[in-house]
Amino acid sequence: MMSKNTTTDKSVDVLVIGAGASGGAATAWLAESGFNVKCLEQGYWQDPSKYASASKDYEFEMLTNWAPDPNKRQRDEDYPINDTNSPVTPVMFNGVGGSTILWTAHTPRFHPSDFRVKTLDGVADDWPISYEELEEFYDLNDEVMGCSGINGDPANPPRSPRQMPPIPLGKDGRKLISGFEKLGWHWWPSDSYVNTQPYGEGRDACNFCGHNHMGCYQRAKSSTDLTYWPRALRGGATIETGARVRRITTDESGRATGADYIDSKGVDQHQNARAVIMAANGIGTPRLLLNSTSDEHPNGLANTSGLVGKNLMFHPFAMISGTFPEKMDTWQGPLGNIAMSQEFYETDKSRGFVRGYTYQFQRSLGPAWIANGGFRNAVPWGEGHHEELEKRLGSLMAIAVIGEDLPEEHNTVDLDPELTDSDGIPAPRLNYTLSKNSRDQLDHAIVNAKKVLEAAGASDIFVDPMMRQSGWHLMGTARMGDDPRSSVVDKWGQSHDVDNLFIVDGSIFVTGAAVNPTPTIQALALRTADYIVANRQDFKG
Amino acid sequence: MITNSAKTQIDEPLLTSMLDRLIPPVGDLPGAGQMGLIDEIVRLSGQQTRFQEIFETAVKTFYNKNQDFISQSESQQDEAIRQFESTNQDMFDSVLTISYIVYYKDERVHKRLGWSGKTPQPDGNKMEPWNESVLDKIRTRKPFWRQVD
Repeated sequence: MMSKNTTTDKSVDVLVIGAGASGGAATAWLAESGFNVKCLEQGYWQDPSKYASASKDYEFEMLTNWAPDPNKRQRDEDYPINDTNSPVTPVMFNGVGGSTILWTAHTPRFHPSDFRVKTLDGVADDWPISYEELEEFYDLNDEVMGCSGINGDPANPPRSPRQMPPIPLGKDGRKLISGFEKLGWHWWPSDSYVNTQPYGEGRDACNFCGHNHMGCYQRAKSSTDLTYWPRALRGGATIETGARVRRITTDESGRATGADYIDSKGVDQHQNARAVIMAANGIGTPRLLLNSTSDEHPNGLANTSGLVGKNLMFHPFAMISGTFPEKMDTWQGPLGNIAMSQEFYETDKSRGFVRGYTYQFQRSLGPAWIANGGFRNAVPWGEGHHEELEKRLGSLMAIAVIGEDLPEEHNTVDLDPELTDSDGIPAPRLNYTLSKNSRDQLDHAIVNAKKVLEAAGASDIFVDPMMRQSGWHLMGTARMGDDPRSSVVDKWGQSHDVDNLFIVDGSIFVTGAAVNPTPTIQALALRTADYIVANRQDFKG
Repeated sequence: MITNSAKTQIDEPLLTSMLDRLIPPVGDLPGAGQMGLIDEIVRLSGQQTRFQEIFETAVKTFYNKNQDFISQSESQQDEAIRQFESTNQDMFDSVLTISYIVYYKDERVHKRLGWSGKTPQPDGNKMEPWNESVLDKIRTRKPFWRQVD
């Protein structure tokens, strides 16, 4: 279908949609390999010196203009998401760096078993690739992003030396660890893409402000605007910010020809390209593919299988918090990067569910954050308020549960029939139900987390059985596989339907594992870029 | 009466009384209303349109339902607030959220709590350095990740 837009730019080899975790990685690799790459990003560059953690209004900003939920943030560059049919609200950031701007940079890897869940546990599907095939790209990504941590974790395969030592545990971290050790359960310092010493270009060590989830003023937390993008731009890539893609365009043969978009001045534009890479996350990518209908692709682009937008996975997320009798300055250090436990990660069918979960240790922040609930219930107003606040301040910690969600076709991202963004483009709508297996995982985890907190000396234990604002990890909506009837892309991220269309974000996950997905997303993006470099020189003009 | 925007007016005495019940006096500090936080609440709520709209609607809705609030006893006021909380949770949350934020950024409150009150950046915090000896016990555990052929 030909574009009807007002202007036409010169063609590029590869057009990347989205400048976040995966888009940054793929663009840098391709640009450094001699491809002419352009990226369209609906958000803008961020200036770390203006992050809200240095503002006197930071606690208000955290809940509004810097909220991770785009429906609460409502910046011009955000698009609305209808989440009324989902118990989990999606959280993300639109800008150069994407959600790595607001993430906590906790960066565990998938386990080898995560790629073989059908074979091992008889559920979902195996990935068409193995841990070993991805390992070199995990290592490459660690090197670019900069990983603090330490080898020797008995819950994971051996891996290459980390670039920096772990983040200090703090008094609070050691307190939680004491609970795990009393029970004889696994724990290990978190791998984090947070500098513990200067690393990368102009990036300092963390100064433990506790608020890197609002953007890292110190540039110690790795985000792709600070890591991959400088490399990409030096390699000759270009990026256009404030560019909201309306649709991917195709020709009469059904091949991708570029994208229609609205530029930062509100003018319709078209960018020609010999290949397109989607990197717009597990909601943004299916939204765009479903918005890209044509005579050749009446059900949306790359959607012969009918699976675009289906099999949406989150990581079901419970939070169990407790108050300790001693003051431990719990606001010091990254909020969620202390340590993790994978005692219950692998399947043990005697538990009554398959797959498992990770525990992630959580700190708490200052008085306003605690008063407003943070990761538990708000401090009650009225009589008793002050006593309760003072009890929690500096003494409140939590154990977060990240469970493995399995793919189910009825969990979907589709197009809302009425809701649109500010440019009139149909907005995504979520339909998501927590499965019994996921609920059973969380319930099991809650019981055991209470035991840990009690063993460590906590009291006043509070359970949030599933956090609503926990949809950081958006996966599965354009799944990878060998069979075009049951998957959207092949093992290289290449569309089965459109041979010059690739997807590199969390959409292509077959299963979600029980860990934060970004290192895996980035490793897959690098692997796809490496494949293009080795096999698709025909994309070069 | 103070003007927050051209569209909406906030009844200052009512909000003062409400704040005093939400965050009552403690030690030598009066309640949040008597501390004179309303100007800052109004300023801060205006920093985001979405928040400002729900906050202003909340105060207006509460006022319309409780025009005699100031003359009520403390227990009656608490009951009126609880009723509002149960029937208009999102609106009530906006009032409580901004009240807590503004109260806990006040230097008088910091002094009472012994809280530094500094912004997280640029100074950050100090932590004891990483000490590998903490791994002594867990390092004795044999690998238990699941092998895959």
